Amino acid sequence: MSEDIRKLFDERLGRYQAAIAFEPVDRIPIAAGTNNFAETYAVANNQEVIYDPQKWLEGEIAFCRAFPEADVLRNNRFWAPLYDAVGLKIYKFPGRDLAPHVPTQFVERENMKADEYDVLISNPAEFMLERFLPRVFGEFDKGHTRTHFAFLKAGLAQGMMSEIMRNRSIQLQNQCGMPQPMTGAFLAPFDALGDALRGLEGILKDTFRQPDKVIQACDLLAPIMARFAIGIADPLRRYPIFVPTHKATFLSPKQFDRFYWPSLKKTLMIVINAGYKIRIYLEGDWSRHWHHFLELPKGTLVCDIDDPADNIFKAKEEIGHHQCIAGGIPSTLFILGSPQEMDDRVKILCEKAGKGGGYIISGGCYIPSNTRPENYRAMLDAVMKYGWYDRNITPKPLAPLPVKGETPVLGEKGVLTPWTVKKAELGDIPGEEDLIRKPWETIEALAFNWLWNWAL
Amino acid sequence: MSKKLIEALVNLDEDSVLKEVKELKEKKVETPDIIAFLQEGMAGVGKKYESEEYFLSELIMSADIFKMATAILGESAKAAEYARKNGTFVLGTIYDDIHDIGKNIVASIMSANGFDVVDIGIDVPTAKFIEAIKLHKPQIVGISCLLTTAFDNIKEAIASIEKAGLRKDIKILIGGGTVDASTCKYVNADAFCKSAQEAVDVSKNYLKIA
Repeated sequence: MSEDIRKLFDERLGRYQAAIAFEPVDRIPIAAGTNNFAETYAVANNQEVIYDPQKWLEGEIAFCRAFPEADVLRNNRFWAPLYDAVGLKIYKFPGRDLAPHVPTQFVERENMKADEYDVLISNPAEFMLERFLPRVFGEFDKGHTRTHFAFLKAGLAQGMMSEIMRNRSIQLQNQCGMPQPMTGAFLAPFDALGDALRGLEGILKDTFRQPDKVIQACDLLAPIMARFAIGIADPLRRYPIFVPTHKATFLSPKQFDRFYWPSLKKTLMIVINAGYKIRIYLEGDWSRHWHHFLELPKGTLVCDIDDPADNIFKAKEEIGHHQCIAGGIPSTLFILGSPQEMDDRVKILCEKAGKGGGYIISGGCYIPSNTRPENYRAMLDAVMKYGWYDRNITPKPLAPLPVKGETPVLGEKGVLTPWTVKKAELGDIPGEEDLIRKPWETIEALAFNWLWNWAL
Repeated sequence: MSKKLIEALVNLDEDSVLKEVKELKEKKVETPDIIAFLQEGMAGVGKKYESEEYFLSELIMSADIFKMATAILGESAKAAEYARKNGTFVLGTIYDDIHDIGKNIVASIMSANGFDVVDIGIDVPTAKFIEAIKLHKPQIVGISCLLTTAFDNIKEAIASIEKAGLRKDIKILIGGGTVDASTCKYVNADAFCKSAQEAVDVSKNYLKIA
């Protein structure tokens, strides 16, 4: 990496981190967590982005060069061949199931039955392998041999996917001086249950018909989600871990407090104690729930505020002194607005939401893929006009959060075959037991984590 | 009039609703009367939603209880519901968009509030909207859309409905996470709805139903 590029990378990362930590900074960071506009702005169409990692990267690099004011970049998260290996049914992909210009879409179905809570709670690995995966893996319907082979291919493809993501991160850093807004991801336990397992209607009815089971399952999922997230996060702890939220907007405050928040708070605290900050997308209208973020240590979250975009001002008032907030530009303004309207909007945001720091300019959790380039350009220009705090400051990367606690171990619920079972099968061990036990448990835990990949 | 039944539904007391419906049926209360009580209960749920005491989860639960209650009444319930219908509502998700959760919720809430709902599915091409409008002669058409990339598709569909001479007798509502007032203007819809309950209220308003 050249000296200029390193300097640029450090400034951008430092600017982003300073806003999150409420530290003095030169200007408001331009740091959308998800930039779908960047995917297809240059080079690639939607199908190429998810099937051809080289084209995807080329498109990102072209974007970085065209819009150098942007401080972070993350867009697509799929490499479709991984999903093809198992025939995953929960996504529809452009070019495979949809026209090549159409975005990837999630198919929500009931992949866990209402009466399967006890199966999940008593043995999560067995539940995933016996109930969930057979329902969502198309390759499982095609006979014994193909099922086994699909598992092998998906494990190998997972390694390829990690390599693609690592390479992108390194290339964007070395060629463009571009940091990531987040790496590693998890779901709120209630969403993990409600998205791919029970579905929205299912989970909402469960809160009335079997409330205790829902709470038990969420408690079980909290450490599972935290371990999953930390397992794939940035080992240097520079970037926050990502959590999108899906079902909270549909809950009353009473339901949120009972079903959603306790296990989410538990998960967030495990991640924070492991030394990571978190970028949380408050999808939908969270204004009745977000006061809970005052319960967490200051400066540990980036809260992305969704449309309606004026919610950003309410968020600023209610939580903006304690946690960093991002957003404020309506999704439709990127697509249907004019550069002048964008300039006017950014000016107001810089003055009001940006006041005193702890603010990141962005759309409502993302930049839409069909954004008009002139509107995106107008957003950058406006931040350069109105977004400054102190031009004398040169931002520098900050030290990560300290590691405060051990990540909880899951014990027998975090593996399929506990060591005790394996040991009994092996009989007398003539050598040193720990030499065999430790890697057995490590690989069991890795494979257990891998199972949850398909539910996120 | 069964206050007990209405209140039980408003309070989402599933067991009491089902028990009461069974009792009324045994007492030979006419099916249309029982349906009327249930619909009054649904209206009560809608009021609680508007005052923000209830949220989507309560709406979904109420629609599910309504469905189970009418199932007890059997075939006669369908005819009774049809006789009491407020109007016909054709509903679909615009082409290139395969999201169905929001659309399904709107369908069940509209149905439980006395609309005859014709659900024409997801990824619906313009021709299918036009065909359904000609066939079912709805008063209200709902177009669901979760993707900003499908705004132009809604615009095209509405323009085509108008070109086919079908616009003047119907109101077109749009809804979905990313849809707002500027989208409504852009695609030339009559209204945008932020929730399933709003779809009920706006439709009743158009049809001048209290």
